[in-house]
Amino acid sequence: MANIVVDARGSSCPGPIVELSKAYRNAKVGDIIEVWATDPGIKADAKAWAEKTKNQIIEIKEEDGVIKVSIKIVSR
Amino acid sequence: MPKKKSKLSIVMFSGTADKFLPLGILSQAAAAMGFEVNIFVTGWALLGFTKNAKEPPFPNEFKDMAPALMNGLKKMNAKPWQEMLREAKEMGAKVYVCSTMAGVMNIKREDLNELVDDIVGAATFLEMAEGGETFFI
Repeated sequence: MANIVVDARGSSCPGPIVELSKAYRNAKVGDIIEVWATDPGIKADAKAWAEKTKNQIIEIKEEDGVIKVSIKIVSR
Repeated sequence: MPKKKSKLSIVMFSGTADKFLPLGILSQAAAAMGFEVNIFVTGWALLGFTKNAKEPPFPNEFKDMAPALMNGLKKMNAKPWQEMLREAKEMGAKVYVCSTMAGVMNIKREDLNELVDDIVGAATFLEMAEGGETFFI
């Protein structure tokens, strides 16, 4: 079980989701992917992505203008 | 029973820069969401898929706003549409050129750039698109 950080700061929509989906390709069930983004679209987009791929959003927080979304990979 | 895979089909008709941008964004986003993505290139859009294609022009009515838009895109680190489409293709998106339009413009397979997967007819595209979402850009 790994903790994978996807740094998509400065990338505009749909960049962060694309980076997330790339990380997902190599992730295993039980891994946590943490996406860092500055594009505000990521909050809703990550939820839509998790819904679509049947994975779980654990937390969405904002620190110094950076949105951090933690997603637990439960489905492959 | 597993749910059928979601599908986005795009008829890319327009040949102007402002329309190529949503093509890149939507195909990349859909591919990242795990959608099957099929793009059917026809009309003026075909000119954006030839070898040595020039950057598509802005439509006349928005020409004055083009520099501000380009500037804004740069500031947001938005990638050029070709790069977004390339990334979408890496995630499985396919680009098909309309055989009739290619014939009308006298464009052959070897005249098309590396973004194009194949030349197909309208019936093939409609068959691919059936049962999914279809956009006309």
